[in-house]
Amino acid sequence: MASTMRPMGRMLLRASRSTLLPVEYSTSRATQTALSVSKTSPFSNIQIANNGILTSHRAFSTSPLRSRKPTMGQLKARHSTGPFSWKSALLFVLTGGGMIIYFRVEKERLERKRIAEMSKGVGKPRVGGPFTLRDLDGKEFTAEDLKGKYSFVYFGFTHCPDICPDELDKMAEIIDKVKESTKGENIFLPVFITCDPVRDTPDVLREYLKEFHPDIIGLTGTYEAVKNVCKQYRVYFSTPKDIKPGEDYLVDHSIYFYLMDPDNDFVECIGRQDTPESATRTIMEHINDWKREGKPLRKD
Amino acid sequence: MGWFSSSSDAPKTASDGGRIAPDRSSRARCYEGRDLFFACLDRHDILDAIKEDKEVRRKCGKEIAEFDTACSAAWVKYFKEKRVMEFNRDKTIERIKKEDAAKVQDLKAQGWTAR
Repeated sequence: MASTMRPMGRMLLRASRSTLLPVEYSTSRATQTALSVSKTSPFSNIQIANNGILTSHRAFSTSPLRSRKPTMGQLKARHSTGPFSWKSALLFVLTGGGMIIYFRVEKERLERKRIAEMSKGVGKPRVGGPFTLRDLDGKEFTAEDLKGKYSFVYFGFTHCPDICPDELDKMAEIIDKVKESTKGENIFLPVFITCDPVRDTPDVLREYLKEFHPDIIGLTGTYEAVKNVCKQYRVYFSTPKDIKPGEDYLVDHSIYFYLMDPDNDFVECIGRQDTPESATRTIMEHINDWKREGKPLRKD
Repeated sequence: MGWFSSSSDAPKTASDGGRIAPDRSSRARCYEGRDLFFACLDRHDILDAIKEDKEVRRKCGKEIAEFDTACSAAWVKYFKEKRVMEFNRDKTIERIKKEDAAKVQDLKAQGWTAR
């Protein structure tokens, strides 16, 4: 980072020497005239309007002659400092600093964009895809319903001993933080898909998710439908074989959050190592990039 | 039995007749039972509660009974296995760190410097 910035700074220095300073010259002269004009109040307008035949109005003007032509003293002062002055130095520092900040921000943005675009590329493994499940009211819910908003997909099951409850508490915190950062815009869709459809019926899921966050959309379906959506999202899950009804068992599954953009393309994974703060930061960066590019978002 | 032992309601059942998922307070009760049980295992230097089941029942009889009532059987098994897994994991990390440190020492002795 620093090494790429250094030649940039040198270039700026060269540029400011050759082009910025003459500009600085002419502006300082302009301000001088402006100042003198304001002193000569009633006839100032005439002075400017008839700049070409100014001498004829000289009789009415109270402004001293030296205002338009620099005195020897001023010329000497300018000569002694050369083309440098505190103003040009300040301009140089501000422009340089501004450029450095701008390039850093742009570089980070492009890096995020690269991550987001990576999963859209040809021949890359795609995470996510079409699916048909049912929401907690029994209504059909497909991948199309995720479009237009950023969605945050988690796979789990209600009998999960310790990891899912921890992660869902984290999810709840992230939901609130994102809501706060987007000032309540309804553009973030947290989704919980069960990997244990046999035991996790809509009623069970509703009771379970209620304890974490009311905004979480619970999805379930037939065993085949769940197996399909897990495959689309490259989620590994295994239900033990030959379970008798009523038997107690656990489901092995991957434990990542999947951040999907409004085109329903995979953006990034949020894992166990992320804190609610770091996860929110990642999500908000992607949301803000999307907005900056002026792409559409569904706020209903 | 199980989870709802402290509440008077009959245990709710899932559609397949199995037990319904525990809520936040039952989870908390289960974690508490687990922590007390593991503390007892630590006191008696027992790592694997499944392998040394007989000894565990003799030494931590009260704790394991409470643990078994507070959590479902699948969870009890899961936590016992996780304890062994985490112990081995931490031991491996520790060993790798030590080996790395020793290697660095060795290389430094040969005049190598970290870049």
